[in-house]
Amino acid sequence: MTFSEKFQKTTDVKHWLGDMEVDHFLYTAGIAGEAFFVALRDKGVILGTRCELCGITYVPPRIYCEHCFAELNEYTDVGLRGRVRSFTIARLGKDGNELKKPEIFAVIDFGSGTTGLLHKLGEVTPETVKVGLDVEAVLKPKSQRGGHITDIEYFRPVG
Amino acid sequence: MNNRDVAVLGVGYTNFNSVTPEVNWKELMFEAAQKAYQDAGIDPRTDVDSFITCAEDFWEGFSIFDEFTPDQLGAALRPMHTVSGDGLQGLANAYMQIKTGLFDIVVVEAHSKISELLTYEDVVQLSFDPIYEAPLSKGVHPYYVGGLEMREYLEATGTTEEQCAAVVVQNKRNAFCNPLAEFEAQLEVDDVMNSRYAFDPLKALEIAPRADGAIVFVIAGGEIARSLTDRPVYVEGIGWCSESPWIGSRSSDAAYVKRAAQMAYRQAGIENPQLIDIVEVDDQFAFKALQHLEALGLARPGEAGYLMAEGAFGPQGQRAVNPSGGSLGCGHLMEASGLARALEGVLQLRGEAGPRQVEDALVGVAQSWRGLPHGTGAVAIFSRRE
Repeated sequence: MTFSEKFQKTTDVKHWLGDMEVDHFLYTAGIAGEAFFVALRDKGVILGTRCELCGITYVPPRIYCEHCFAELNEYTDVGLRGRVRSFTIARLGKDGNELKKPEIFAVIDFGSGTTGLLHKLGEVTPETVKVGLDVEAVLKPKSQRGGHITDIEYFRPVG
Repeated sequence: MNNRDVAVLGVGYTNFNSVTPEVNWKELMFEAAQKAYQDAGIDPRTDVDSFITCAEDFWEGFSIFDEFTPDQLGAALRPMHTVSGDGLQGLANAYMQIKTGLFDIVVVEAHSKISELLTYEDVVQLSFDPIYEAPLSKGVHPYYVGGLEMREYLEATGTTEEQCAAVVVQNKRNAFCNPLAEFEAQLEVDDVMNSRYAFDPLKALEIAPRADGAIVFVIAGGEIARSLTDRPVYVEGIGWCSESPWIGSRSSDAAYVKRAAQMAYRQAGIENPQLIDIVEVDDQFAFKALQHLEALGLARPGEAGYLMAEGAFGPQGQRAVNPSGGSLGCGHLMEASGLARALEGVLQLRGEAGPRQVEDALVGVAQSWRGLPHGTGAVAIFSRRE
């Protein structure tokens, strides 16, 4: 088909298909990431860093406070229990089609004064999930943990 | 700050369409540029001192995008740079170049040829933190973050889902009066409420569909604008701000817009934003329009939804909000979305908005948000100075 003829699809006009090759990149965990992921893998705990001046605990940890720009090096175990600040039921896949099983994502606070951790919820249904729900982390067995955010499988309601 | 004022000398734009296979992206830019220079009455090869484009490599499909922009704008062998941000951020750069006296006439361009990106969701997914966030949602549409942020906003303000749905109804209806708009529709709140959830509580109809288009602004020192046109629209102030990129650390009240607005209002000498006549806010998701109206100080926290549902922001209301149809009505133009909001402000203040013209409009505000998963916004104030 030539350029000037009537076309029905955008791919009927002269075009080229291309790729942006971006699937090979190395992301360094860094100082805070190293502490966080090693503690998660080896001890099964969730670490944050504390800014005493601002009264904020960063989860996951960072080596700086985004409010006062202080350097942070005080790591604290925030526990495995938190509370749902917000959640959503993701019904669509990346292709725009309905997921076979919706996934529930949440922002979880670990007590007042912590930043929220983005993660998934499990053992809960769209009907029973709510803001303010008390949840706890479900970790993979130690032998299967590799120092990834997915070493936490999901958070589930407490009790 | 020095006293030189800054004005819009000309604007040019293409239609906003879901696909544009008849032209390539450079030709899309050329059309908008040609119209802008004609509108301004200038020759880009002799009259323009500096050119600014707004784009991000991944949207464009190739890297070091900024090297590919001079020829289609008439900018070869001229000062030129690209802002990796929204069009209003590009406008801020032009404003500074003129305000400082470095240049007299500056061109700002932003566009979207997003229909050519066949894996949009993958690119959005690539903008999540690769260590802490991206691994959680493989295979899931990245707009789920919109659902998370919407719920937090509803919880914090008591805004209802019906009130968010009213934004979709109004903006898609407004779009009927905008010949550039692609996504006009006659809907009722029930239609939106009964549509499918995409990322509860966010519904599929509350997400702005993407569109192609290009917009070019010609900006000039006030004294030059006054000598070349009898309908200058002044840029009275412009602010921008970025908040935490961490999804779990962000505010639920669009703090990035609050800060950007404070900066713009201060420059413009606006103490009471209620005096603004024309308001164009970012509405990539319906709830964002309400959140942004509150952040701009045009409604108290939790009140924007009520006012929207009551029609206070409609064509017959106390203040026109998104008479253009917004992104829900015009289409989400990626980095050109902010310039689309600003374009409506300029057309309204010039009295060139056709059937959607707001009577006696003197001051307008345009606001942008760079989109998920991040928190960058800009606010620009325009006036026609009676």
